[in-house]
Amino acid sequence: MTARPVRLPRAVAASAVALVLPLAACAGTDEPRPSAASSSSSSTSSSSTSSSTSSSAAGAGAASSSPGQGSLRAELDVVAGPVEQAGRISVRVGESVTLVLNSTIDDELHVHGYDLTADLRAGQTTELTFDATIPGVFEIELHDAGTVLLTLQVS
Amino acid sequence: MTVLAHGVGSRTDLPIPIGFALYGAGAAILASFAVLLLFWRSPHLGGPDAGRPLPAGLQRLLDSSGVRRGLQAVALLIAAFVVTAALAGPEETSRNLGPWVLFVTFWVGLVPVSLLLGPVWRVVNPLRLLHRLLRPLGPDAPGAAQLPALGLWPAAGALTVFVWLELVHPDRTEPVTVAVFLLGYAAVQLACAQWFGEGWFARGDGFEAYSTLIARLSPWGRRSDGRLVLRNPLANALATPSRPGLSALVMVLLGSTAFDGLTRTVWWQTGPGSANDWFSGTVGLLLSIALVSGLYVLGTRLSGRLAGQEQGVQPARYAATVIPIALGYTVAHYFSLLMLDGQTTWILISNPFGTDGVDLFGTYGNRVDLTAVSADVIALVQVGAIITGHVVGVILAHERALLSARRARASDQLPLVLVMVVFTLGGLGLLFGF
Repeated sequence: MTARPVRLPRAVAASAVALVLPLAACAGTDEPRPSAASSSSSSTSSSSTSSSTSSSAAGAGAASSSPGQGSLRAELDVVAGPVEQAGRISVRVGESVTLVLNSTIDDELHVHGYDLTADLRAGQTTELTFDATIPGVFEIELHDAGTVLLTLQVS
Repeated sequence: MTVLAHGVGSRTDLPIPIGFALYGAGAAILASFAVLLLFWRSPHLGGPDAGRPLPAGLQRLLDSSGVRRGLQAVALLIAAFVVTAALAGPEETSRNLGPWVLFVTFWVGLVPVSLLLGPVWRVVNPLRLLHRLLRPLGPDAPGAAQLPALGLWPAAGALTVFVWLELVHPDRTEPVTVAVFLLGYAAVQLACAQWFGEGWFARGDGFEAYSTLIARLSPWGRRSDGRLVLRNPLANALATPSRPGLSALVMVLLGSTAFDGLTRTVWWQTGPGSANDWFSGTVGLLLSIALVSGLYVLGTRLSGRLAGQEQGVQPARYAATVIPIALGYTVAHYFSLLMLDGQTTWILISNPFGTDGVDLFGTYGNRVDLTAVSADVIALVQVGAIITGHVVGVILAHERALLSARRARASDQLPLVLVMVVFTLGGLGLLFGF
């Protein structure tokens, strides 16, 4: 089964993220509950973002995975302006995370805790893949703009 | 660099498992009723004269002004060094010693140190030494007579300013902000001490008042005759002198820690706090403090009403009984910060000015090990701290009620105990992330 990245409206994407988790974590206990709750609340906030025409958003995301391998692929638009909190993505410890960033601005992406950075160039798509080996909740932010794009929950 | 929670830090804690939250809540409620119904029916813990005195020689050493001035001089040198490093060291927060020392090593570290060793900041407070040096230059404490009436209100105000800086100020992690705050704080404190006299520091220096408050749950106390004693921390807490503003001080600590927890929840980050600006932060912080204060005043006054006691004195009477709950919140929210991101201080100390090739203690190349404490241990400590704080708080309130009226009925204590249960369930809810 190959990874099939699809761009979806954010609300759909968020539920896809939530769906992926039980597959990725076969021994799922009561853990996914908070993550499902967080995904749905994030979808509400960013659907209101996309409905406003001002350019203040880190917009649509999409997720797909290869079940069993434990991986998450999240796609984000990065545009200028104040970023509203784009919510939280949840993965299990040991999963592979791929961030796909379609940027309209130059900036530097920083994944806290893992201390990873990626240069974003206006008009280009940047991919950042890493293994989620450290448990906790981490911010993924734009260094120059000083804004938080996402929080990543590794549990 | 922006961070959502508590000054600096590269991570925040995972939501605690739902099972932990539910078992914790159940344990808290059960323990409350056990204390009310099954525990002692007459005062039990010992008054302000309880305790085993330390050897006189040891007390003379600990109380000697020479030792205190020496320790204060060391603290002053360290403080001056940290401010210099904040201003002259690397500009990036992740490489600058200043924010990590202030927000993690000092602010969070003060809690375990005071809990183990007593009111240490009162002994080593470098501002006291500076005050002694500067005192001859200005007027000689013309306001000293007003100090007792002010009580601990100035300290509650000073701590509110600090927690606002720590949790709300947009540039709180910038080294320059840290340096400016420390210098400004010292200047204001010294000016106030010049006006009110040396007694100001115990009432107006937020850090000293904080350390002293936490030390109320340490085994180190001072009898009314001045002897240093080792005693039951619960008796120590109940011997806390009742001063105006004591409950306000505890509420600032409880409310601000609750707000720190709130800012980590998805609900806050995508809802009221989504703008992540100073306005939502300021309103959220003040509302949190107001909310816990309102609940506390309501609970204590209702308890007083049921017991037929004057209601106005109740909030002050029970203030010390909420210290353990505030401490439980603090441990739950800051334990992992001290253990994990706290490592940064010991890495950066090897090269405080970011000079090429300098590595004084051979730690500069180390990386913070964010897996040094497992997520399970963190969750256990968090729930354990909240529940322990709750149980100790309920026990103290029970004893306090018995002290105020020998035949206090258990049912009279119910409103305050219910408010404590609300604090505890709220604390667990914040750890669970709603």
